[in-house]
Amino acid sequence: MELTDWELVQRSQAGDVDAFQQLVSRYHQKVFTVILGLLRDREDAMEVAQEAFFRAFRKIKGFQGGSSFYTWIYRIAVNIAIDAQRRQKRNPLDFRETMDEAFEQQQEVAKDPFSDVHDKELRTKLVSAINDLTPEHKAVIVLRTVEGLSYKDIGEILGCSEGTVMSRLHYARKKLQDKLSAFL
Amino acid sequence: MKRPARMLKKALLFSALFFLAAAYFGLDAASAQTVQVKIGAILASNQNDDFDSRLAGIEKQLKVMKYRSYKLLKEESENVQGQANVTFSLPGGRSLVVSPQESKNNQHALKVNLKEGDKPVLDTTVRLNNGGNFILGGPPHEGGVLVLSIWATAQ
Amino acid sequence: MKNCESIQESLGAWLDGELKQADAEAMRLHVDGCPACTDAQKKLLKLNVAMKAAHAPAGEIAFEPFWLGVRTRIEEKRSWTTDWAEWLRSMIAPPSLAWAVPAVIVLLLAIFSYDNFLPGRGQRNNFAAVESIDAHGRSVALLREDETKTTVIWLYQNPEGDNEATSENAKKGPTF
Repeated sequence: MELTDWELVQRSQAGDVDAFQQLVSRYHQKVFTVILGLLRDREDAMEVAQEAFFRAFRKIKGFQGGSSFYTWIYRIAVNIAIDAQRRQKRNPLDFRETMDEAFEQQQEVAKDPFSDVHDKELRTKLVSAINDLTPEHKAVIVLRTVEGLSYKDIGEILGCSEGTVMSRLHYARKKLQDKLSAFL
Repeated sequence: MKRPARMLKKALLFSALFFLAAAYFGLDAASAQTVQVKIGAILASNQNDDFDSRLAGIEKQLKVMKYRSYKLLKEESENVQGQANVTFSLPGGRSLVVSPQESKNNQHALKVNLKEGDKPVLDTTVRLNNGGNFILGGPPHEGGVLVLSIWATAQ
Repeated sequence: MKNCESIQESLGAWLDGELKQADAEAMRLHVDGCPACTDAQKKLLKLNVAMKAAHAPAGEIAFEPFWLGVRTRIEEKRSWTTDWAEWLRSMIAPPSLAWAVPAVIVLLLAIFSYDNFLPGRGQRNNFAAVESIDAHGRSVALLREDETKTTVIWLYQNPEGDNEATSENAKKGPTF
């Protein structure tokens, strides 16, 4: 019978590394996907995701189950990613090239929704516009758009109220619409 | 979209900053400043070992003079505006005229004249911190000496 | 009834399914009957579609190499300086710094303006400077006592004596 997250957490707190490994196997893909949405680079996202689980392992004894394990690990990961973004210095061209690499690795050239010039330009401008958002605003957009998380979960991950999540999303979407008004 | 909580936090923080800055640098306006001048007239002697409990706040200062007993004879205060002066009558036919000169950088300059009747005994100008005091003493009185504690506080 | 600006602030939440049922119904009724809000809704929907498309799927990542990376970190011994540097970096990140700076200013001003709010309480700073003195021929002593920072101006009796009669004890004057 499959153990629940909380049972695995309790075993991890007792020092059972195998139990923690099971937790990692359940959430590593989701965490990586969210961080990739924030950092736009596979290597960096991998680095941050692994670091997040490492820090979770070190802090696991302090986790009291006030939130679910997945919102807790998301919180750790997103905070590391936000810190990394503040230290990162990249130019817009790097981001576009990175996105192209991501698409190539995806090997879905035939299904590329941006096959025509207009859509490709929109994609480039959209990526650039998202990148111009502050880390906090980018985080709410990614968590909502990529992961489809509820405002409640996003609030728990980012340590803010649902009202703040709603406000940040509204602000971020408005900013993006203003920058992409010619395309939308 | 308004963020009332954040705006309130900012408003409170900057109000606190402004208030403390104003308090630190002082709201000095030399001519319009009102200063409260307070004096305490004290009998210091070696006749007994009594210490007047009303003088507890300045006990350490008085004991500098190493008399054995201290008794508060009178305490009086007056608000003085600008560079006007105030006259306090003292035991033994004496009087003390205090005239605040200027207030700057959280300090008050006081011109102090001690008289016995009409005869000047001591003229001095002292600069002290707002709320602070200095001691003036020595004239003999009733088997001991008269000690004056003089305070100045901005109002 | 809310105005369009207020309605459009909640459009995103409505499309995300985050409004309460009653509010969502009121929103629907308004948008159906308001061309401006209908237009805003369409733009937001286009943006949502574009954003979903812009975030290409990450592709599956193999678990074993990922776990190896995590396990390596668990097993290596980090120096305390690395942990301290990480903690310090999180403390001085810009949002915290933005509040730390005015907080430090407020604290410093509070310390320096302590005497303004509690005048005279702080005996430690009872500084007084004597700028001029004229004892009209009498001997005068000026002293500062360090512990209480007290300034004392002491008038000695005139030995020729035109003061009132004094006792033997008073003649001695204070012994500082």
